[in-house]
Amino acid sequence: MNWQAAGRERLEIVWFVIACLGGILGVRLAQLQIKDASEYRRLAEINSSLTIYQTAPRGTIFDRNGKELATSQSASSLIFLPRKGEAIHDLIPVATELSRRLNRDFQTLLETLEQADHDESAVRLAENLPRKTMFQLRELQTLYPGITLIDEARRYYPYGNFASHLIGFMGKMNSREWRERKAKGYRADSRIGKMGLENAFEDELRGRDGGRRMEVDAQGRLKGELGNTPSEPGSSIYLTIDADVQKAADDSLRKTATGRGAAVAIDPRNGEILAMSSQPDFDPNALLSTDPEEVKRNAQGLPEFNNAIAGTYPPGSTFKPIVGLAALSEGRVTPSDSFFCPGKFELGSRTFLCWDHKGHKRVSWTMGLAQSCDVYFYNMGLKVGGALIERYARAFGLGGRTNVALRGEKGGHLFGPDTRRRSNKSWYDGDTLNLAIGQGELLVTPIQMAVVAAALANRGTVWRPHYTQKIVYSDGRPDYLQKPEKVNAISAKESAWDQVQDALEVTISSGTGYPAKIPGIIVAGKTGTAQNPHGEDHAWFIAYAARPGEPASIAIAVLVANGGHGGVTAAPVAKKMILAYFGMPDPETERAAREAERAARRQRLGAGIIPLPAKIATPLGVSR
Amino acid sequence: MSPIKVSSTLSGRIDWAFVAAVAGLVSFGTLAILSAANMTSFYNLIWQKHFIALALGSTLFTLMIAFNYQVFQDQSKILYGFAIVLMAAVLIFGTTSRGHRAWIRLAGFSFQPAELARVLIVLVLADFLDKRARRAQDFSTILMALGIAAPILLLILKQPDFSTALTFLPMITGMLFCAGANLLQLLFVFGYGALALSVPLVITLCQVRFPNAPAGSLPGFIIATSKMGWETLIVIGSVAFTCAMAWRLATWMRLQVKLASFAAVAVILTGALLTGIVVNRSMKTYQRNRFVAYVAPRSAAKGAAYNVIQSKVAVGSGGVWGKGLFSGTQSQLGFLPERHTDFIFATIGEETGFIGAGLVLGLYMILLWRIVTAARLARDRYGYLVCAGLASMLTFVMALNVGMCVGLMPVAGIPLPLISYGGSSLVINLWSLGIVANIYARRYALL
Repeated sequence: MNWQAAGRERLEIVWFVIACLGGILGVRLAQLQIKDASEYRRLAEINSSLTIYQTAPRGTIFDRNGKELATSQSASSLIFLPRKGEAIHDLIPVATELSRRLNRDFQTLLETLEQADHDESAVRLAENLPRKTMFQLRELQTLYPGITLIDEARRYYPYGNFASHLIGFMGKMNSREWRERKAKGYRADSRIGKMGLENAFEDELRGRDGGRRMEVDAQGRLKGELGNTPSEPGSSIYLTIDADVQKAADDSLRKTATGRGAAVAIDPRNGEILAMSSQPDFDPNALLSTDPEEVKRNAQGLPEFNNAIAGTYPPGSTFKPIVGLAALSEGRVTPSDSFFCPGKFELGSRTFLCWDHKGHKRVSWTMGLAQSCDVYFYNMGLKVGGALIERYARAFGLGGRTNVALRGEKGGHLFGPDTRRRSNKSWYDGDTLNLAIGQGELLVTPIQMAVVAAALANRGTVWRPHYTQKIVYSDGRPDYLQKPEKVNAISAKESAWDQVQDALEVTISSGTGYPAKIPGIIVAGKTGTAQNPHGEDHAWFIAYAARPGEPASIAIAVLVANGGHGGVTAAPVAKKMILAYFGMPDPETERAAREAERAARRQRLGAGIIPLPAKIATPLGVSR
Repeated sequence: MSPIKVSSTLSGRIDWAFVAAVAGLVSFGTLAILSAANMTSFYNLIWQKHFIALALGSTLFTLMIAFNYQVFQDQSKILYGFAIVLMAAVLIFGTTSRGHRAWIRLAGFSFQPAELARVLIVLVLADFLDKRARRAQDFSTILMALGIAAPILLLILKQPDFSTALTFLPMITGMLFCAGANLLQLLFVFGYGALALSVPLVITLCQVRFPNAPAGSLPGFIIATSKMGWETLIVIGSVAFTCAMAWRLATWMRLQVKLASFAAVAVILTGALLTGIVVNRSMKTYQRNRFVAYVAPRSAAKGAAYNVIQSKVAVGSGGVWGKGLFSGTQSQLGFLPERHTDFIFATIGEETGFIGAGLVLGLYMILLWRIVTAARLARDRYGYLVCAGLASMLTFVMALNVGMCVGLMPVAGIPLPLISYGGSSLVINLWSLGIVANIYARRYALL
């Protein structure tokens, strides 16, 4: 048949086309299912799983004695997971129970539950439940399947307003931070350290979030649980901070006349920061509320400025020990050289006043420093010359940052003939006089003065201040141990150190610094009342202290902005810090406590109540 | 001859590989439907209906083996009339679902006659082309074949069901090709169809990719052309001019090419362009969205392209071994749309992996190979053409559906023969394959 001859040929072409199409489809199948299978499997998994995250506990921040400064509290969140078959059929008793326990509106709760039940989707009913409520709700969990408590870690700062600027605070990410951290496993609602240590050690402190992975369908309804990944805590950081000293600094600074200022305590033996306080401060807990409005309110006007490292002030008389060391070490003045102070000093046509307008009469080195006689230092300054003073000041680290590992540190400003020459300006004797009493263009930060105080205490070792003792990694890496870093060793004659340290001790025992005097402890220091063209004088106090026969173990700088006299306003702060450091009772608080007790006893007797002995008044659960 | 005797003689002539391929595909389809429809709310209804259709289809398939297919050639006119009446009846009595008036409800069952009409057209055209064997080379044969199919096509387009109507074209082309039509003429017709279809695609592409194209640029010009303005006239004019110039050039070069060829080229180009523009304008929003999803899948991830992406994810995530029946997350959790009907191949890909999907594809290739073999061995030209038509149709529908599921083809709402859920489709396909089995069984002129 003739149709077959022509047909067969064309049929072969048809079959060829069919085979080609089959081949193309087969290759495509192989491409999707073999070559790109893992990618598509990932996409399918993203489609069908939903993770209810559990925030990991953040690493704990300890003080040098192991006290917890920042911890993670386990806070529970209450979620409702309606599941087919298991879900509660009658939601009204659940809503009633929950509204009573959570103190929330019954109607809204019921609506939320009904919506979730209808959509078969998970809903977060409450966050950050208090521990007490959590235990009560745990019973509900067994009564009503679907009501589930998940443990989440929430940052908690047990001391509240405490070293706020050093520790910092946590907050939600802004869009830029979110973009940067997306790849590191952060979630859009993760909180990150925004300031201080929380910010600087974000990578170390952060734990790995866990979560319950749920299977969901295309409508977002829950189908079952796929798995539970436990969270992993972050690494712990041990600070060199002494919580007692820090607390003394924070509390007493806050109570000063203006409540603004800074206090820094450093161990002169190794540069460890024992306390760093900046006022006004804040309570970082206030920024962790689950209510965004509350956080916004609290974040507004947050005193983020860290006075201790970024506040620059003229040092005033606290600069005088440096002038003295320069003069005595270089032999320009001997301790017995004396100058007459009539209350003022005339240079050419200009008159420079002493702070005590009555004058100190004839003063030598020890008296000059102890009484902080300006005229003595004018004379001394002219004998030494601006250049030497500048050199010594620079050796102490002034005019440059201490390089403490905190963001926003300022270097202040040191001026002298050398600086002037570099900017092609002349140096006059009048400048020398201003420099000699720590005024003029001189600007320092409290942490710089703490380093100065430490160097005066340890005879010339300038440390780079640090606040970390060690980091204990949660992932098993060996601990990071901080080593002291020596920045500079000031070379000065031993006799000069003796003379300066003796005079600093006299300043406390019988000079302007007597408010910082502590029986049984050797305290040496210098007050400062820095003139300030914008308002009231700034009160300064630098000091170091030691138990008799031991090397000085704490050096302090205190600044009270616009606080007036250093001896009056700043020295008591330092005294409280030293008392706290040596674990000595504060006579002032003791007296207040005694008085309060006496008053209470009077009241109780008056009311006819017989006080129980302390031993019987234990909680019920403990007495057996 | 008694029927018993006939069947016993036939049993040795049955193409068991063909029957095995059909049985394999239907079994695979049944498993896939049972798994994919698992989570739908009418699960019981679906599997009950499927098994009824399966029983009916198998009966028809078996009956068709015993039944002499040549009866269909004798009753060609009746079949043609039946097809037209059926398609007209759909438009008058049919029920509307999802915008198509494509179903006839009868005694509680819905029936989609377009599938039946398609097979009937194969039978009718086979008869026509068989009778015109001597004039197979004439252009009039092509035109007349198209003319025979035209009423049915128009009635289907009226439903409107663009996808089903589309499946007629490769089927008719395949039959004409196998009937020995003039290749050049066929190429012209085929080119016309392809061009008319690509015009809306190009226009959509320009609209999506260059939404703000300036008036002077090429995309801007193409978009303007689609608006039937003077730009359209310019295009038509320049096509005519180019063809005329080419003819002049050919005569000058003394090439032996007829003027008619150049005129045909011009007519086909302008005709295809105009048809394309008309198609483009009459497209429904959902059809336009499928085009958009095909030319720019990322631009509409949640819209039309959602289906394609989810289908690809389903197939791809199945890997080599699959996730197991009833365990595919994409299909069981509802991410995959139309998972037991149009996208059932994606369900198979996800749950049975490359092994299962490859097996289905392999069974299809065996089936098509056996149909082609049946065509080759057919005792008469009619049987040969019926097989060729059915092979072309099944190939095109299968390639379009599987291609859609693996993201190679635009979304078209057509089921995968023998696999997808759909009673009428299954019954009609089994019946038509029964005819193929019959043609094979009667390959020797003895009976």
